[in-house]
Amino acid sequence: MINNHPNTQLLTDYATGGLSMAPLISITTHLQFCDQCREAVSGLNILGGELLTECDEAELSDDLLAQTLAMLDAPMATNTDAEAAAGTPKSSLCPDLASQLPKYLHRFLNSQELEWRSLSSTLSVAAISVGETDYELALHRIDAGGKAPVHDHKGTELTVVLKGSFSDEDGIYREGDFLMREPGDVHRPSATQDQACICLSVLSAPIKLTGIKQVLNPFMQFNPS
Amino acid sequence: MNKPSGPDWNALLVKVGSHQDKAAFGALFSHFGPLLKGFLLKGGGVEPEQAEELVQETMIKVWRKAPSYAPTQAAASTWMYTIARNTRIDWLRKHAKKNHQTDELVAEDLFDENEESSPFTALIQTRNASNIREHLNSLPQEQLQVLTLMYFQGKSGQEVADELAIPLGTVKSRVRLALQKLKLKISPNGEEQVVYAS
Repeated sequence: MINNHPNTQLLTDYATGGLSMAPLISITTHLQFCDQCREAVSGLNILGGELLTECDEAELSDDLLAQTLAMLDAPMATNTDAEAAAGTPKSSLCPDLASQLPKYLHRFLNSQELEWRSLSSTLSVAAISVGETDYELALHRIDAGGKAPVHDHKGTELTVVLKGSFSDEDGIYREGDFLMREPGDVHRPSATQDQACICLSVLSAPIKLTGIKQVLNPFMQFNPS
Repeated sequence: MNKPSGPDWNALLVKVGSHQDKAAFGALFSHFGPLLKGFLLKGGGVEPEQAEELVQETMIKVWRKAPSYAPTQAAASTWMYTIARNTRIDWLRKHAKKNHQTDELVAEDLFDENEESSPFTALIQTRNASNIREHLNSLPQEQLQVLTLMYFQGKSGQEVADELAIPLGTVKSRVRLALQKLKLKISPNGEEQVVYAS
């Protein structure tokens, strides 16, 4: 049972096309696990369809249909290659990892090699590039029983638990759970003892470490591209 | 499914998918094309010629994707809406110069293809659509305005708040009230950022 979901505003922004790519990916990832939110999004899409149907019509140029019909038979060059490539995980991607992640995510992982960097003895991060500068998308892995450093947030952090579970001061989060941390929230996630925890995370601005060890921010050792 | 009077758009869309039926496509084009153009123009920020380009692009995608259309999962209008939304997202990204690196990623890949595929969807779809039709016109103006900005312009809640110079919290509550009135399911967490697991 999933206890933590995106709020209504995020789901609405998702359905109306108001989200940037990285947050969009985090919501879709949550939907892979969550029937309730999928149903909510489905309703919001129906509303989109109704608003479209109720819209005032705007007259089209006379020849637009003919032009469009003429284009239908043109071979589709784009996408077929990408679709074929998205079908199976590339061997360079750690196969163990691929089998643990929702199929939906494979296409983002296939397009690049995941480079895991150790941030501490138990925490590593692998950046995923989607060509955005305002957000960072990454996988975080906390080894079984490991702890992430205490940190708070300057910007918003969205997290989806993909595998395993972790806990912090406020609770325990399991596969599919979606968390949103706002500026000012301080927490220290740690993985449960039995297995490593892998999360997808989206950061909108640098996280700052609290306490003395503010030398390096381990969450920010990669650059958005 | 309760069928609206007039042509059965769902059935026409199925025909396009199963038989590459150009007559059916033409009928869909003639019906949805002007609606799509109106939808895009209402959002603003798009010139009429660009709106037609987007209509064309959307309809070509409809042709290409029609074989995967399942009327039990979505009404033609809902399906068209999602394709038009994705087409607009890609168009806007292409025209925003800062994001030119990953053009191979398209909105279609970012959304959940199985968004609609729960066993009860057909039922929910029918119920939702008739609730929406029944209550949409009686929404208070301020709620309709927020929904309109979000859907027609693809603006986020924050952007709508900025544009109307009202707090984000006000936008959120207008959205919530509107969705309640339309009897649409909202997030299990409601407006909360996080409901902590116990």
